[in-house]
Amino acid sequence: MLDLALATILLPVAGAVLVAVSPQPWAKRICQVFSGLAVVTVLLLTWQFSAAGKVPVQATLIAFGDTAILGFTVDTVSVLVAIAVVSIGFLIAIYSGAYLGAGNREHPDIGRRRFYAFLALFIGAMAGVVFTDTLIGQLVFFEITGACSWALIGYYEKPKSLYSAAKALIITHIASLGLYVAASVLFLDTHTFSLSAIANLDDTGKTIVLIAIMVAAWGKSAQLPFHMWLPDAMEAPTPISAYLHAASMVKVGVYIVARSLMASGGAPEIVGWVGVVMAVITLVFGFLMYLPQADLKRLLAYSTITQLAYIFLALSLSVFGSKLAFNGAIAHVFNHAFAKTLFFLVAGALSYTTGTRMLPVLRGVLSKAPLIGVAFAVAALAITGVPPFNGFFSKFAIFAGGFSVSQAHPLLYVLVGIALLESVGSFAWFLKWVGWTVPGRPTDPVAAAAPLPAAMGFVLVVLVIMSVCSSFIAAAWLG
Amino acid sequence: MSSVLPILLLLGPLVGSLAIFALPVGKEASRTVEIVHVAAIGFLLVMALAVGGVTLASGPVGAFGQWVYVDPLAAIFVGLVGVVGFLTGLYSLGYIRHDVEHGELTPFRHKLYYGFFNLFLFTMLLAVTANNIVMMWVAVEATTLGSAFLVGIYGKRSSLEAAWKYVIICTVGVAFGLYGTVLTFSNGSEVLADPHGAILWTTLFANAKALDPMLVKIAFVFVLIGFGTKAGIFPMHAWLPDAHSEAPSPVSALLSGVLLKCALFVIIRYYAITMQAVGPEFPQTLLLLLGFLSVAVSAFLFFVQQDLKRKLAYSSVEHIGLILLGLGFGGPLGLGAALLHAVNHSFAKALLFCGSGNVLMKYGSRDLGTVKGLLRVAPVSGVLMMAGALALAGFPPFNVFVSEFMVFNAGLGSGWIWLTIGAALLLTVTIAGFVQIISGSVLGKAPETMRKGDLGFATLAPMGLLMALVLIFGFAVPQPVTTLIGRAASVVAGGPATALEPPTPIYGIAPQLQLEARR
Amino acid sequence: MSGIHLVNGLAGLLIVTSLLVVTARKPAHSAMFYAAQSFVLVLVFLALAGVTGSHELYTWSATAFFTKVILVPVIMSRLFGRLEDQKLGTGERISPALSVILAAVVVVLCFVVVSGVALPTAEAVKPALAISLAHFFLGLACIVTQRNILKQVFGYCLMENGSHLTLALLAANAPELVEVGIATDAIFAVVVMAVLGMQIHRTLGTLDADQLTTLKG
Repeated sequence: MLDLALATILLPVAGAVLVAVSPQPWAKRICQVFSGLAVVTVLLLTWQFSAAGKVPVQATLIAFGDTAILGFTVDTVSVLVAIAVVSIGFLIAIYSGAYLGAGNREHPDIGRRRFYAFLALFIGAMAGVVFTDTLIGQLVFFEITGACSWALIGYYEKPKSLYSAAKALIITHIASLGLYVAASVLFLDTHTFSLSAIANLDDTGKTIVLIAIMVAAWGKSAQLPFHMWLPDAMEAPTPISAYLHAASMVKVGVYIVARSLMASGGAPEIVGWVGVVMAVITLVFGFLMYLPQADLKRLLAYSTITQLAYIFLALSLSVFGSKLAFNGAIAHVFNHAFAKTLFFLVAGALSYTTGTRMLPVLRGVLSKAPLIGVAFAVAALAITGVPPFNGFFSKFAIFAGGFSVSQAHPLLYVLVGIALLESVGSFAWFLKWVGWTVPGRPTDPVAAAAPLPAAMGFVLVVLVIMSVCSSFIAAAWLG
Repeated sequence: MSSVLPILLLLGPLVGSLAIFALPVGKEASRTVEIVHVAAIGFLLVMALAVGGVTLASGPVGAFGQWVYVDPLAAIFVGLVGVVGFLTGLYSLGYIRHDVEHGELTPFRHKLYYGFFNLFLFTMLLAVTANNIVMMWVAVEATTLGSAFLVGIYGKRSSLEAAWKYVIICTVGVAFGLYGTVLTFSNGSEVLADPHGAILWTTLFANAKALDPMLVKIAFVFVLIGFGTKAGIFPMHAWLPDAHSEAPSPVSALLSGVLLKCALFVIIRYYAITMQAVGPEFPQTLLLLLGFLSVAVSAFLFFVQQDLKRKLAYSSVEHIGLILLGLGFGGPLGLGAALLHAVNHSFAKALLFCGSGNVLMKYGSRDLGTVKGLLRVAPVSGVLMMAGALALAGFPPFNVFVSEFMVFNAGLGSGWIWLTIGAALLLTVTIAGFVQIISGSVLGKAPETMRKGDLGFATLAPMGLLMALVLIFGFAVPQPVTTLIGRAASVVAGGPATALEPPTPIYGIAPQLQLEARR
Repeated sequence: MSGIHLVNGLAGLLIVTSLLVVTARKPAHSAMFYAAQSFVLVLVFLALAGVTGSHELYTWSATAFFTKVILVPVIMSRLFGRLEDQKLGTGERISPALSVILAAVVVVLCFVVVSGVALPTAEAVKPALAISLAHFFLGLACIVTQRNILKQVFGYCLMENGSHLTLALLAANAPELVEVGIATDAIFAVVVMAVLGMQIHRTLGTLDADQLTTLKG
């Protein structure tokens, strides 16, 4: 089983190396094949894991004497998240194969090797973050994803995109110092980097380590005060925005917090308070930033910030003892990954076919390109949490968990209440844009739209289906 | 233990150098010179590794009545001279030939280059194998004299200027080192039963507690200023960006990768004596102060440079500062981290300087405003530059990350929390600088007139080997190296050379690797 | 104790000669004064040898006489005699009078520092020890205050003489090889600097350190 986890990490990395040394025209296929193989291994892993009764397994891969440097853990949480990141990675590789072509009206391109190499490397690093069970391992993969993200944001090599790429890299690196601190403190106290050792720390140690991890997480997940890199990162090719800046990399932050909370065996409440307060501030800020956005991708970036804030809120609430909120958080990681990827890929499809992603000029999409129109509506409803789409179920769990722990801490009522209001507000705002864009008479750019390549259409369909089904999968899996 | 190995080690490059000087110069660059050169550096590599192996297996090795002495600490630096000297020596073949073909060097200077290159290697080896503290000083001084011609070899205005600054600043600086040496020696000859023993580091170190503390402190300050000049510590670093940028690229790699470390080695030797004599507080405060200042000042100077090689030079100052911080944090972890960082920085910096050599050969310029699109023009060089820059910026899975993390860890462990976090934030500035290099020069649109096609195998192969080292030390530092570093750290901290065996690395999937059982 | 007085007195003479080296108009003159100074240094060694009875010091005096009184000055006057830079003038950043005052300040400071040293051997020769330290810093001051790069070479020689004297005062019985090593290195340093100085003179046509300004930042 652990071999499969290792294979899931190494296959895409091998693909990346292969892309780098092969001629450019092969890059696309190599990347697709190897990310596809990673999907196969992760599915095999899932099957074996559930056949073995979902018993968590841990193994150390590299140790230095008694100090575990790198190890893997396979449990319900890591498997679920791994399915999401690896399979979406594969879908993105397929979508990109069509998107990065001469037919793209916004960014005609040939799909350089660099793109596919870093995409494949990223998939591997992401699987690494998910499976690793040491802080130092998390730090290593955290930084590798950051480097990949930098290379991919700057892919078009325009001054603005290079600037945005550097900005993203540096802000997330500054935040990563939190992980440096956490790993060092854990090591100096317990002489190991194993996450499970967090449970052996005293309350002060736990508080330092968990808050330090949370600082790193805020950076990666674009929460206040480190949020500013994400909207700028929209300079990346859209499939990259979809994958790195919505589905996977930004989830690294919440994921490492979730893992350390699981390992801590009961965190000090102060950690919960810090998390909840910052999450609510980010939520409100993110919502206010929706209002002036006209670029669909920037709107989605702020939406990602708020959705991640929900997950932070849920994880912080779980510190107060709500298992429901915790499961809601994990489910939301899973659900949001599919829904937000869909939304970004819709944005990508619009810019591919029409050459723009400015909402004010996009009207009447449904009549000209029915698939894109339907996908747009589904994505918006799923993101804002309208039943029967996936976002609803995980958000429901988060709020239910939140209100249940609020009985012991009345202040939480207020904070969770604010979050609920935000949820309603963002529903209204997205409904407005759905109403504007999807129905009606096509505007000029939409009317002149090019046909959508089949590969991109296929990916959209898969994601629409998953935007309905994913929450049921998550619920069934997490039990 | 006495052995003939260190003598062979020293003789290799010396004989090579003399032989090259003795060869006749024809109308064209001589193949014979190159063959002798390759033989000499190959011999050097083998002997350096052999000496390291013997030290590892059977303890410190001495020769010439203990004037030459290789303990684990020295073995690390001997290994550095051997490995980096060999690889940059190989890289020189393609690079210098290119310069000769383009008329920048005459066949005579081609010969001089290889002669001085080997002489330079010899003087560095002498510095790190010296147990006689005066010989140590003589050797460090000789490194300046040997490499000054290499810095000024192009004979242009700017290279002569750089060579002059290099010689003046370093000889003056190293004169301080001489004063420190003299003070230490007279201090020792005063209190030791056998005054002649005072010339040996081993004796001084063993009897350090008997030395006059005031003189030890004065001597350490002199040594730190003197050899610190050579090591490029702020504020004595002024020669470094000039010399590094004007020297031929393989020499820059050698200066930055090895020479600075040799000077550091001498400082570490005196640091060990000083810690024994007056306790750790005084020397550590000095090291931390200078280390932090070096990191802080060079981070910003690094960022604003527009010349690729000057940029890399300032990055060297920064990494030297980081090594000083590790030394200053002290303890086995801090010392070990510092030594490992010295090794890691050498490999990564040598790689990048060689990369800058490829840039120079391709573009004829080091100006980051002119150099664009290396990845498209010369894909392999571009990828190597990119990976090297990421490595030096401290990204995993490259080696610098490992030792930087260890220094960070040592800093938190020794209680210098804000200093450590401050230094880590300053390193972020460095990342920005390296990103600037990559996005400005490696990526981007190449000039229209630029002919595509990578440089030859001769220059790419040594870089590939350096890249491999950078990766290997990033994934798993080889066991012999960790053992040497562990023992060296123990020696410096005043313990026996056998204590502090670092734990064995274990690889492979096994549930928990029986970690619990081993506890 | 007259031997010790002789040592201290001769050491005082060293400061005078080094001021002459620094303030001399032409590098060739400096070379002569440097030879004179080295001769004084040899006398100090001989006096010390008489006091301490160290036979190593006699050897030192011999080697120092050969290298410092004859070899280095000859090399320098041969090499430097031909180099001229009219525009540079004396190349002083500060006037000779100021140099003398500066030297006095340095000497006083060094006396203060040396008074803190508690080694038994140093007790009797403290004045000479202070002067050797001062000599070292005078050399440094020479490098900083002179724009003529040839004069800067002499600055280095003065520094080296200073540390040489310290060594003799504090550790009269050091092995000869130490002394030989230091002397040889100093000769090589002077030669290398001289050769570089000539190349600069040939390529740039100047001896002015302030003209070396291509590299910045």
